[in-house]
Order: sequence, then structure tokens, then C-alpha cells
Amino acid sequence: MGRNTAIKRYEPLPEGRPLDLFDSAEGRRPVVLDLLSTPWLTRASALVSPEDAGVGRRVCERVEVAWDAEERSPRGFVRDGRFQRVAGVVQTWAVDRRWWEPTAHVSRRCWRVLTEQGGTYDLAFDRVSGTWLLLGILD
Amino acid sequence: MTGGRTDSFVHLHVHSRFSFGDGAADLGGLIARAGELGMGALALTDHQGLYGAIRFYRAAREAGIRPILGTEVVVETAGIEGMEGDLPPRERLGRPASVGFGRASGSGFHLTLLVADISGYRNLCRLLSRAHVRSASEPSIVTRADLAELSGGLIGLSGCPNGEVGAAVSAGRMHRARTALTRLAACFAPGDFYVELMHLLTPASPHYIASLTSLAETCGLPVVATNNVHYLRAVDARLHDVLSAASARMSLPGPYERPNAELSLKSAAEMRRLFAAHPGACDATLEIAERCDLDLGLGEFHFPAADVPAGETARSLLGGLARAGLEERYRTPAARRAAHERLDHELAVIGDLGFPEYFLVVREIVEFARERGIRCSGRGSAGDSIVSHVLGITDADPIAHDLLFERFLNPARRQMPDIDVDFDSARRDEVIDFIYRRFGSEHVAMVATVNTMTARSAVRTVARAFGHPAAEINAFSRHLPWVGAHRLREALATYPECANHPLRDPRHERIVEIAEQLDSCPMHLGTHLGGFIITREPIDTWTPLQWAAKGVVVSQYDKDDVEALGLVKMDILGLRMHSAITETVELARARVGEAAVPEPFDLPHDDPRVYEAIARADTVGVFQLESSGQRNLNTRLRATRFDDIIAAISLFRPGPLEAEMITPFIRRRHGIEPVTVPHPGMATVLADSYGVIVYQEQVLLVARAVAGFDLAEADSLRRAMTRGRSRAEMAEIRAHFLERAFERGVSPEVAEEVFRQLEGFAAYGFNKAHAACFAVVSYASAWLKVNFPAEFAAAILNNEPMGFYTPRLVANDARRHDIEIRSPHVNESSARYTVENDGRAIRAGLRDVHEMSARLLAAIERERAVRPFRDLADFLRRTRADTAAASNLVRLGALDGLGVSEAGRSPTRDEMLAILPELKATLAREGEVADDVLVLAPGPVRPREDPAHVSGWLPARRLSAELELLGLSLTCHPLDLAEDDLRTRGVTFARDLRDLPDRARVRVCGVRERAQTPRTRSGRRTCFLTLEDATGLLDVVVFEDALARAGETIVKHRCYLIDGVLQNNHERGLAIVAEEVRPYVVRTSAGTPVRLRRGVPSGPMGPSLGGAGAPEEESWEAAG
Repeated sequence: MGRNTAIKRYEPLPEGRPLDLFDSAEGRRPVVLDLLSTPWLTRASALVSPEDAGVGRRVCERVEVAWDAEERSPRGFVRDGRFQRVAGVVQTWAVDRRWWEPTAHVSRRCWRVLTEQGGTYDLAFDRVSGTWLLLGILD
Repeated sequence: MTGGRTDSFVHLHVHSRFSFGDGAADLGGLIARAGELGMGALALTDHQGLYGAIRFYRAAREAGIRPILGTEVVVETAGIEGMEGDLPPRERLGRPASVGFGRASGSGFHLTLLVADISGYRNLCRLLSRAHVRSASEPSIVTRADLAELSGGLIGLSGCPNGEVGAAVSAGRMHRARTALTRLAACFAPGDFYVELMHLLTPASPHYIASLTSLAETCGLPVVATNNVHYLRAVDARLHDVLSAASARMSLPGPYERPNAELSLKSAAEMRRLFAAHPGACDATLEIAERCDLDLGLGEFHFPAADVPAGETARSLLGGLARAGLEERYRTPAARRAAHERLDHELAVIGDLGFPEYFLVVREIVEFARERGIRCSGRGSAGDSIVSHVLGITDADPIAHDLLFERFLNPARRQMPDIDVDFDSARRDEVIDFIYRRFGSEHVAMVATVNTMTARSAVRTVARAFGHPAAEINAFSRHLPWVGAHRLREALATYPECANHPLRDPRHERIVEIAEQLDSCPMHLGTHLGGFIITREPIDTWTPLQWAAKGVVVSQYDKDDVEALGLVKMDILGLRMHSAITETVELARARVGEAAVPEPFDLPHDDPRVYEAIARADTVGVFQLESSGQRNLNTRLRATRFDDIIAAISLFRPGPLEAEMITPFIRRRHGIEPVTVPHPGMATVLADSYGVIVYQEQVLLVARAVAGFDLAEADSLRRAMTRGRSRAEMAEIRAHFLERAFERGVSPEVAEEVFRQLEGFAAYGFNKAHAACFAVVSYASAWLKVNFPAEFAAAILNNEPMGFYTPRLVANDARRHDIEIRSPHVNESSARYTVENDGRAIRAGLRDVHEMSARLLAAIERERAVRPFRDLADFLRRTRADTAAASNLVRLGALDGLGVSEAGRSPTRDEMLAILPELKATLAREGEVADDVLVLAPGPVRPREDPAHVSGWLPARRLSAELELLGLSLTCHPLDLAEDDLRTRGVTFARDLRDLPDRARVRVCGVRERAQTPRTRSGRRTCFLTLEDATGLLDVVVFEDALARAGETIVKHRCYLIDGVLQNNHERGLAIVAEEVRPYVVRTSAGTPVRLRRGVPSGPMGPSLGGAGAPEEESWEAAG
């Protein structure tokens, strides 16, 4: 059915390499993405706050995001002066609540992304302010 | 169609506004959007029914989109044994909010059903009907047993997250989800059940979809993607939130608290992107759409079975009955010859079109009514048919009045005939009972009406959702005109009565914005006043049924849907005028004898006194001729024969009014302008209407006379001209007409002019047959009013609510005809109004007294039969009347003159009111009161104000009580009390206006009876006020400029002092053109304001007083 294909394809390590699970970062990434996407596993950090799909550490920073128009998802973002390239989108969701209360209105499109550096971040485009926000950093 | 393209998608789970509160998409919008998105098919799956299905089916097919009908039902719990409540609390699944409309709403888990073919459609109708009308008390839930029995031709989808499978998966109860899935799937044939996947872009969506796909895999079921569409675009989510909150009577966020706005009609690309990991789920939508190929066979007719004896056919039976009827209706040989010729033609057409059974069924119903003495009469274009006439369905003679059969049934167009019959409303239930008995309750149901939102209801809906308090909601909706919600902003900006409207405050801009979008949104399903569907097959194979609020079984379809399906809809309408006429005849016969009062429908139409009364607008209570505009027309038209009544009824209609036919008609009638017609043939066919095309039938006759059309062709021409045609289509029609006229040697100029007139009037003409049928009733009522005015007024009052005026005005009008209106009295009155003093007085009935109960009425009548009541104590002891009712009776004078006080005279009303509590207390304590209790007078009471009157009350006080508790002014007209003040102010009274010259400046004063602001051709607003002073009715016209100044005064006050110019000429009739409208308050000598309208709601006896039933605000803030 196309689920967890990377995990299924993962070959047990050949003998003599007991510690390294993966050959390279590229080899590791699809499996990590599968693990992050799978509904069967819940990380401890995700339990902290079920709101917004649960985030490890909640922040709310404005960030600069490079947009991939073809994929219709973020290509990367700048954090602490460094460009974080997105290696894959883990999940996407939308929030639109309390539009009738100007102060409580939330309207966002959110992406949970895995960066090439191996971090998992929640990015959101805030439709009310028209800005990109970094909402969460998952360990 | 959609052919398996990988970039295609079909939405199979779509809610429209017919989900009543849980859908914001209108059908037209859905179809248009699906077209824009290139979708070849679209489903409609509203909650618990097929309310919008037929209109969706027709519109989608017209737009080239395959309609897939379906519904989202509430289904019995499948995943557990027993009830949800039997489970330990932690294992229970949350019960979804109730969905559906009215008594078809249900609370439970959802399941989506789609119709694959006609057998599926019939099964779905039956399934829904069983769920909704199984019994009046059981909840509307589809059982698994019914589902298993009736799933043929249906495709099932496991439902949204509110389905049992979805809910169990979301709650992590996989075992339950699996059990539910297996059991639900088992109800369907293999391959007909799909697991429904929805990616609603919530954080939980991936988990939800992964769990369901895994479950589907385990159970060996296919998956299909849907988006649970509830609105067209994301921005419309707000509309949906408002509707769902308001319909649940909650404030926002409402019952669902949706996390986002993703339930829109998304494009195929968006859907495929969401389901990128499951392309098969999207492909399945296309497969299902291919399988759903429903043909409802629209265009065919399905008549109920008529009772045809062996050896006869419907056609031969109809012919026999019609010929026998003809002998009754037409007495002279010459008349019979003409009638036979026409009858043969009509019977041939009816037979060829296959309609004899329909006529037989209508005749059977009418025949039943006649046998039982239930007054009835056909109306509408059925009057154009001699078959209807000779069968006794309609009363106007089609030959004598030039009524054309082709206007009713055009042989060139096979359209469902529509015969509407009015029955005595007091006995309509007997007719309905007969229909259910005759055809069987499984073949009969009532037609629904879809009530849609206007500006007022839309504003109330939105304001309620925003959580505004009730008083504020009332303030928002009050004073809004009755316009469509799309015109709300315009009304607020331009209507004078909205000048200070709270919605003009920018803070409420959002209410206005959303309310505008709710224009014509279906609000609730009503029951048609008298529309019945009668079918040959069981009706639940044609339409889903449900209980209506008033306890009858109603179809989920409205009359247009029923007609589209080709089913027979019979309008069994109740006409209160029939009840009033019957009662007048009974009252009159009781007084003057059976033989002295002929049957009013059989009268020759030749009594000059009737025409004189109509011409002087003495028509309060007369059927169709009593409204203020109609009375004005009566004075201008000055009817002298029956055809004039037909003309009067026809001319005062929106079409003729809009086309301004009245003025040339009147001018030509009175010789002010010559009668000119472009073609001599028109002179003959338009002779009755002085060359003006007033009737639709005349369009046919003109086309025949000028262009040689046969009547069927001419009717097709009329219909083509009537409907909104494009310029090109109209040019085609015109060319055809001109060509035919030229062939007959008509000159181009004449032919052009005739066509111009036809074009101008075809759309506005009125159906003469309808007017002629009504005119029979109008004449009968006018004749009764002229000959038996007291009986007629009493009968009108007994059958309220009816007609144009309030009972108050009807009673005042009777008083102006020298009929005394007597107060209700416990020793004299019955429940209803009665006639006394040899037809010179009317005694008010007790039924309309506020707080009167059926029990008390029965007690009064029972005890009075033993002996009259002696005094208040006697009355209380024998009837056990409660304090409120007894006090109201005392205040109305119903016990005046009874008993003797210690002063040696009858006690005054104040004295009786003072002792009443003590009497009640004594009764309660001892069960008995002594006869001399009135002698033991209580503490001091108000001294007698009016020693001359038995009540001891002044007229003003009596009047206020009458208006407050009965809604009538029995003592006098309120303005009688202010006569001196009005004279001082130079006021002219209604009865004197006729003697003043045209264009005289006048000042009048009157109590508002009606205020109307009809649509005018120019689009300008003009208010027509009907006022009443002590001497008669006043018709006041307030044009737009004056209305801008006076709008608020008119809306907020009841009585006005008006300065204006009198219009008093033959051409325009009698009216006052207002320049200034000021409020006026009638005060007693002590300065207290006098009540002008009924002040209490109807009592437990029901709203028997029309227009006066609701308490009305009285505004005392007027300037003096």
C-alpha cells in the first residue's frame, strides 16, 4: 500500500559494522521520514502538547522561508543566520479557528519538515499576518 | 465521462444547504464549481434525506454533469452488541451531534449511501421513509436489518469521522472499528461497500487514514477518497460555522468546532495531492461515478388509479360522465350544441394526451365533497376547460366567458394538467380523510415547501450565531423590509424606515456581510397548505417521507420536484370564504326560512344592488374585491355586469398593474379616450376589454385573428413570449409571427404594431379562467353582504383569520351598516358570533375572549341550558371559571346587569372585579358561596364614572378593555372619542371626502389598518396606507419623497394625522396623496391614551382572530 516503504526496504547491516545503522545521511533520511510520519509511533516530545500536532519545544518566531512552488511546500528557511534546507515534508495540516474574534483568530497552514541537518521543525504560514513562523522544534 | 484519468476526481460526499444547518453550498454553486473544475460527475449526499436531490439532478444534467444522488444517514450502531450506554464509560464513543431536519433528524453514527440505478433510488426512498416514519416516537435511524434488505442498487461508504468506523479508529478502538466495518459491509453486495478516507488536514489525519487503509486491507474492502464537502470555497467555512451554530441554537463555534476550513470542493489536483500515497482511493471515485447511472425518467407521467368499472376504459368513462354533466349545465338546445362540439374536442385531446384518469380522480374527490355538502370550487386555468365545468369542478361557463381550453391544456405540449380546487376550510379535513381512505395511506403524502431565508431571517440567523442577546436580535430584524437577503445592504441604505437601524452601525458590518450571503438559503421544510401527492405505486418508492411538525406524513420534495417526477399533485386548498358563505346561508336560513335564501353559487348574476355596492366600494369582506387597491379600482370601474367583476379581479394583479393596463382600460370604458386597435380582428376579440390585452386568453385570440395561428400554436407563442427570452429568440418568434400575418395580407406596420402589443402584454396578462372562477365566489359573497349584512359579518368574524382586514374593521364596517355590535354576555352569547334582533345586531361570541378555555365555554353553555346565570357568584359557583377568565368577562361586560348590590342596582364592573378574589377564595375554601355575598361588599371601590351606563365605566375605559381582551371596538370607534379634538384640528372625515373637489387640500386622521409597499415598475417605493376613522376607510398614498420623511412614523405608530391633497376623479378614484404624516394619540378627558389595537395574544382557544392574534406594541411617545 505504499506505507513505510523505506523501512521495509532497509537492509540489515552486513556483518562487521555493528554500530553504524546507515551508510550515509542520504541513506538514513528516508527511513527517518518514514519513522516521523508513521502513525504508530509517538515521540515523547509530541506528547507535550497535543495542540498543533504536538511540538517538542514551542516557539513562535518569524522566519524567512524559501517556497517551492512546484511542490507547494517550503524549500528551506533561515534560522540563526543559517539556511536550513528541507530534506522532506513529514506532515502538513491547516488551522483555522475563531475567525469571528479578531484577537483570537488563527489561520495557518503548517508543515512539519525534516531538514538536511537532521532537525525536525514546524513551519507555518500565518494567513492573518501574511508571515512565516517557526512554531516548533522537535528533538 | 470521467474515464479513469489519473488527474480526475469525483466528489462523492457533498453536503448542500439542504443539509439544513450543516452545509453552506448552494446547489447552483456546486454544479457551477464542479463544471469549472472539469469534474464530469458530482454527488449530493445531504443528511437524512433527498431534499435537494431532484433539483440537483435536473440542474446537473442540464450543465452536462452526471448527478449522483445519495444521502448521509444516521445508522444503527454496528460495532458493539447492545447500546453505547451499556459500555464502560471509557470505552464509549462520543455521540455525534444530531443531524437532519425536524422530525427526520437523528443522532448516531453516519453512513454515506449513493444511488447506482433506479432500483437503488427506490430502495433509498423506502429506506429513508422507513427510518423517518416507522412510528411517530422512534428516532430517525436506519436499522441494519433495513439496510441489508434495501441495499440493492446502492453503494455504501463507511462515512466521515462521525461514522462508527471513523470514530472508533480516531478513538483507537480498532477492534470495534473492524467489527462495525465487517457488519456494515455485510449489508451490501460484494463490491458495493467502500471504506471512506478523508484527509481533512488535521494533525490526526495521517493516523486516521493509515488506520483505515490498514483496516480495509485486513477486511478485503476497497477504499475511496472523499472530502466531506460542506462549502464551495475555504472562505465559505464561515457561512457554514454560522449556519451550524444557529441551527443548533448555539453561538459560535457551534456544535462542531471545526479545526480548519478544509471541507471545500477541492480540485482534482488538490485531492490527488492529499492522497498521493493512495492513488487507488482517488481512482475509486471515478469507478463509482461510472457505476452510478441513474435515470429518473423525467418527462413521463404517473397517474393514480381511477375507479373504472369493468368493461369501461378511463376514456370512455370520462366521456360518459362529461356528457351527462353537460345536460345539467346547459339547458337550451343551442347552448348544448355548441357545448357538445367543444366537449368532443376537449375529450379527444385529453384522451390523446393520456389524462382521463387524472380528470376522473379530481372528479371523484369533488363529487365526494358535493355529496357531503362541502362547498368547493375549482380555480386556475382548469376553468378554461368545459370538461372541468361539466364535471362540476369549476363553476364559470367557459363558452360564455371566452375561456380557451388550449390555455389549460396545449395539445402541442404534453404538460401535467393542474386542477386546483378550493374546499370549505372548516370541512377540508373530511375531504382529506376521504383521499387517504380512497387511495390508501401508503399512496398519499403531503407536498413539502422549502422555506428560504429573507433579509430578516438571515439577519436573525447570523446574529444568533454571533451570540447577540434576544432583545438585540429583535432590534436587528425589526423594521427590516421583507426583501431578499441580497438586498439587505441596499434596504439599509435607502429605506426610510431603516434610517436609524442598528445594523447601520459599522460594528455590525460582519452580520450584514454574512447575512447577504445567506440569501434564499433553505431554512426549513414546511408542509404545503393543501398539496397532496397521490401515486399508483407505493409512494415511498417515489419520494422519501417524514413526519411534518404538525403530525402528517410529508414528502421531502416540494411541488416542483413532484411535478418534475411526473407525479400527480392535487391541491386540496381550504378557502375560508367558502366556510363563511356556507355559514351566512345557514344563519340567514335560520332567520328567514330555507326557501328565502337561494344557493348563492347558482344565482343569476344580475342583481343591480350587488353591482352598486361594488361600485361604491362597499366591499369589506367580499371575496377578492375588498383590498384597498381593489376598492379604489371598484369605484373607478363602476361594474355593471359579471364580466366587469372578472375584469376587476384581473386588473388588480401584479402583471396588469406593472404593465399599467388599468388606466387605458378605465379611460376607454368611460369614453375619456377612444378605443383603438391596430387590426380589425382585434376589435372583436378585445371588445370586452376595450382593446386592451388584459387576459392571457386574449393573446391567443389576437394571434389567431391577426396571424391565423391555431389556438395550440398561439398558446405556444404566448408561453414563448412569457418566459425570459434572449433577444435572438424573441427575434425568431417575431419573424414567425410577422410571416404568418403577412401571408394573411396584414400590412407590415399593422403586423409590427400587433406584435409589439402582444410582446408588451403577453407576460403581464392574467388568466381569465382563474378570474372567472373567483368572480363566481365574489358575486356570491357580495350578494350575501347586500342581502344579509349581519349574517355575513358574523360569518366572517367566525371564520377569521381571513380576508384583507382585521376583525376589528369588519365589526366597525358592520356598525356603519347600522348593525349593532353587542358585547359578549354569559347569558346571551354562544361561542361564536350570532345574529340578534331580526338581523339588526351581532352578539360577540365568547370564544375570542382572552383567557377563555374550552372547558369554561362548555361549562357556560351547559349551565345556561339549565337556567341563566343570576350574578357573579352564581356564575363562578356553577362554571368554576378561573380568576383571569372571569375578570376578563367582567371587564368586557359579559356579566353586566346581573345581580343586585347593596345600592339596590346591578353591581358595576369595578365592584365585581373587587369582590371577585373574595368569591374565588370562598369557593375554594367552602366549595359554595352564599347568594348574598355581594351584599357583603369589600373595601371601597372606584366610584361610578358613568352613572348612565350599567357598567359604571366611561366609554374610553370600556373600549380599551374591548380592544385589549377581544380585539374589537364594540362601544365605538376609538376616534369617536376624539371627535371634538379632530374637528378643532380641521380634520375631514372619510364619509365627507367624496363631496370634496379633486385636488382639494385635506387633513384626515385614521388608525392604520394596513400598510403596503408593493413593487412598482419604476422601482420607486410607494406606500399605500389603509386607515380607518369612525366613518369609514381612508386610502392614503405616500410617495417616495414623503415616505422618506414619514417612513419611521408609519412603522412606529398606529394612528396618524395626515395632511395631503385629495384625489377624487373617475380616472384615479378616491385617495389622499400624503404630504405630511404625523402621529396622533387618542386620549381620554383625563389625558390617558386609549388603546387602538388588540393587546394580548390569543388565548388557549387558539388564534381565532386573524391579524389581531399577536400582541401589538403601542407607542405612546407620539406628539399630541
